[in-house]
Amino acid sequence: MLKPKNITLVLKQATTGGVKATLLLNSEGSPLAFVSDSDREARIYAAIASNIWCTFEKAGKNLMKDDGLKFLLVECEEGNVAITTVSNMLLCLVAKPDVELGILKAKTDALARHLKEPFQQVAAYTQA
Amino acid sequence: MGEELQSFLDKLLLRHVSLVKIDGLKAITITDQDGVILIKSVLNDVPPRMLEPAISTTFAAVSEQASKLGLKKNKSIVSLYELYQIVQFNHSPLITTLIADSNANTGVLLDLENELKDITDTIAVALSERHGISINVSG
Repeated sequence: MLKPKNITLVLKQATTGGVKATLLLNSEGSPLAFVSDSDREARIYAAIASNIWCTFEKAGKNLMKDDGLKFLLVECEEGNVAITTVSNMLLCLVAKPDVELGILKAKTDALARHLKEPFQQVAAYTQA
Repeated sequence: MGEELQSFLDKLLLRHVSLVKIDGLKAITITDQDGVILIKSVLNDVPPRMLEPAISTTFAAVSEQASKLGLKKNKSIVSLYELYQIVQFNHSPLITTLIADSNANTGVLLDLENELKDITDTIAVALSERHGISINVSG
């Protein structure tokens, strides 16, 4: 069984080197686990990130027919956000603008790969 | 005035055509916030569906949301799909969209921003003069 405390520890490992927040959220935008300066910030990131993901996913399905969205990179003046999927959940990393987009993507991909297997088991359990 | 603008846009379009030589880049469109295409340069193998206004209007809506993240104004969004990647720039009041293969170099596409910004600024000024609207294109 998954230990929720350990998930936060894993997310904490990625929240270094200019990464301000790391969140794991469901598709409705509710954070399941997160590491962030404040709860309020985390809730805002989660709600907006999931909304952005769902909008682009829908647009992709309509415009490109079943073409699955794999990764999103949102570049803002004071920070960058990377979003990807882990099983049926979303992983979101928020970084300062001085963090290079390449390293942000690499970190997000590495974390997603690390979490993929245990979360697939959870997804299978919840769907059963 | 209309003819002048058209000839101006055609010249810009020719510049875009040369940009399409970037590996994997399939299309460049510059649209307004409603998805109306002002200029486009597209390779033949791009499905017409991908040039629909929805792609720009989606970005317009999402960019506005992203600006509420608390990270100030949204500048660009890269969406990576199974087959394609779409790089979109918020060149307010215009939207620049680059459609490329999913394995194209994202860094190179993002680097095109500065060059494209000059073009979109010029178009925005031309449009504002045409409509007698003052648009701030600085920054």
